[in-house]
Amino acid sequence: MILLRNVSLRLKGAWVLRNVSLEVPPNNVFALIGPGASGKSVLFKVMTGLLKPDRGEVFIDGQSIAGLNDVEMAPIRAKIGMLFQNYALFDHMTVYENIAFPLRRLFNLPEEQIEQIVAERLQRVSLPGFQDRYPPQLSGGQKKRVGIARATAQRAPIVLYDEPTAGLDPVNSQKIYDLVRDEQRAQGTCAVVISSDVGGLLTVADHVAMLHRGELLFAGTTAHAQRSGIAAVNQFVHGLTEGPL
Amino acid sequence: MTEEARSDTPFGLIVPERMGSAVLGIAAELGGMGVLAAQLVRRMLPPKIDRYELTRNLYKMGNKSVGIVASTALFVGGIVVIQAAPLVVRFSATAIIGWAAGFAMLREVAPLLIALMFSGRVGANNTAELGTMVVTDQLDALRALAIDPLSYLILPRVIAMITMLFALNIVGDLTAIIGAIISANALLDVDFSLFMDSFLEMIDAWDFMQSVIKSIGFGLMISITSCYFGLTVKGGAPGVGRAVNSAVVAAAIGVFVMDYFSTYILK
Repeated sequence: MILLRNVSLRLKGAWVLRNVSLEVPPNNVFALIGPGASGKSVLFKVMTGLLKPDRGEVFIDGQSIAGLNDVEMAPIRAKIGMLFQNYALFDHMTVYENIAFPLRRLFNLPEEQIEQIVAERLQRVSLPGFQDRYPPQLSGGQKKRVGIARATAQRAPIVLYDEPTAGLDPVNSQKIYDLVRDEQRAQGTCAVVISSDVGGLLTVADHVAMLHRGELLFAGTTAHAQRSGIAAVNQFVHGLTEGPL
Repeated sequence: MTEEARSDTPFGLIVPERMGSAVLGIAAELGGMGVLAAQLVRRMLPPKIDRYELTRNLYKMGNKSVGIVASTALFVGGIVVIQAAPLVVRFSATAIIGWAAGFAMLREVAPLLIALMFSGRVGANNTAELGTMVVTDQLDALRALAIDPLSYLILPRVIAMITMLFALNIVGDLTAIIGAIISANALLDVDFSLFMDSFLEMIDAWDFMQSVIKSIGFGLMISITSCYFGLTVKGGAPGVGRAVNSAVVAAAIGVFVMDYFSTYILK
């Protein structure tokens, strides 16, 4: 579904991704973990073409996105839904307009169908009746839910979630993870999730990749990650204080 | 240049170095604004403007500014007459107060003050809004949805600001004249017909056109500066505050410089 081949990227003179090769398979929840400033969010932006790697290639659904401009990227980006770490909800739009936005801009759907999809999405994220509110009127958890509703509204085959539980309490965090998992199962998508909350994320992830200082330390199944012999992976997955990190 | 390197600079070169650094910074900002303007022109060929965004911005930037612009212009008209009153009385020239007030307001005071009001209210708000969108990834969200932020977000704002400053300037001109009429009547006992006689006789369409031309130029200046500083915000919420400050200062300087040259060219 997503293939990265020897991807390296330099920002402000420092290498933030170093020779990362990774394959994200279809129809699964893929966890991208790692300590702060390890390059996870940067890798997300590389996957969507928002940042261009200095070296290496990125393939989305078999198509290389190297050298594509924003116009050429448009049909590829239509295949990707994205939840940003800061929600990135448009403050001047209502909840309804935020969720309807990608449907209106990317697909020529009749308004009745858009209304149906938005209502169904809001029901799905347990926010029925919130369609007329504006983002500043919502709590952090509610914004995350609206962000998930928008990211999944277009039924994209790939959905990227950047820190979907940041700032939430453990109960709401687990609810969000369950929602991500349920959405992935219901739509058969490839869900890639970044989170520092490894304990919660691994309860729903099928595969895990771990980055550290821009390098890929591990990629495999969740079960393999939990019994990895790599000291840094073992320390991070199990939340140990002793270790190389 | 880093602090470490800066400390190595010989004492005699510190001032020239800082001046050079400031000039380079200004050149970079001017270049960035030029590039933004060129990118917007490119997106006008052919124009693809989001009608909803354009309408929303026209309303927000224009309708909601009418009250503040009209009340400011009303008092400005009155102030011009108050300033002119002693001279007008001394030279027994009350018959030309309509011309004097109209000439000063249409050619200079109204477009300049309304532009500064507009920059403080609409331009600053625009920078803050765009800056907040940048630091909360809303622009990246647009790009991730295959939407060009310049076409969707910036172009409607630039068009709305130019259009609305043009319209508000006309409203301001008319209101300033009303303010001058009221003030002339109250302070100099100049009745409406006497004021209008000298105004209509000695003010021609070119005086009004100068006001209009200047307002369009000022609108372009304010829109480009406010959008540029909003789009280049760095450093989270504190960065948004700095960007708003820079945008208002840059717009004010730009408006005065443009006013100087436009006055010279249009005289």
